[in-house]
Amino acid sequence: MNESPTAVTDDLFDVVGFMVVSAHKLLDEPQRYGPFRLIDAASRLVETLQEHGASSPALDRIRDEIERGKTTCMGSEQEFRAVLSALVDAVVTELKT
Amino acid sequence: MDVHEAIRTRRSIRTYLDRPVSRDHLLQLIEAACWAPSASNLQTWRFVILTRPDKLRALRVLAPGFIGRAPSAIVICQDAKEIARRAGQAAVDFCANMDSACAAQNIMLEAHALGLGTCAVGSFEADALRELLDLPTHVLPMLLVAVGYPRSRPEPPQRHIEGSYYFEGYHE
Repeated sequence: MNESPTAVTDDLFDVVGFMVVSAHKLLDEPQRYGPFRLIDAASRLVETLQEHGASSPALDRIRDEIERGKTTCMGSEQEFRAVLSALVDAVVTELKT
Repeated sequence: MDVHEAIRTRRSIRTYLDRPVSRDHLLQLIEAACWAPSASNLQTWRFVILTRPDKLRALRVLAPGFIGRAPSAIVICQDAKEIARRAGQAAVDFCANMDSACAAQNIMLEAHALGLGTCAVGSFEADALRELLDLPTHVLPMLLVAVGYPRSRPEPPQRHIEGSYYFEGYHE
């Protein structure tokens, strides 16, 4: 990789900053936003790795699933629960391969 | 697009194309905002338009609700000092909230009519945003509106009309 370490750490700083700000905001936000911010942070982390050529097919698949389902958080709780459950299944599948 | 259709087909957009919104369109949204109803006709709204990548990048960190990489955002602010001067300190919260919400709705409907997508965002660090945008202490950031061309449009969520209204008084 020919890019400077600064570029990676700048982008990672954004993810960390997002997580810290989210933690603060979540003190006063709906409970359901907690898991939503967590998976959004996971997606942003993988996105950063992708941008720097450091992701993996397994991480890419997890991120794709997050992006497909994360905004169900704004709709039905049942649907959002199903999305999170499917994500856990996807993680388990990756762990077993 | 008439207002009936605009109200019913607008969606909160959370994924955007990598396509900038023109300055003319952004200014058209601001004009629409300024036509919103205003408590006591104060019109104390102030709008900060963000299009620069460095500002949007910071916004993604400081506003957890700002998702989907919109190419622009409008920060709806209120001049609290001006509200207090003209309507009294007790009116600040009400006027600031009401006018900001009405302005946001106008922005979102106008954007929809222009083929743009929007999402109102209330999750942000107000003090940090004030610093990022160089807002004076009496100018309050109230609401963000992400603006861009939709990459996808969600299905309409269920609307609960039955049970939301009562004639002539509230009945359990």
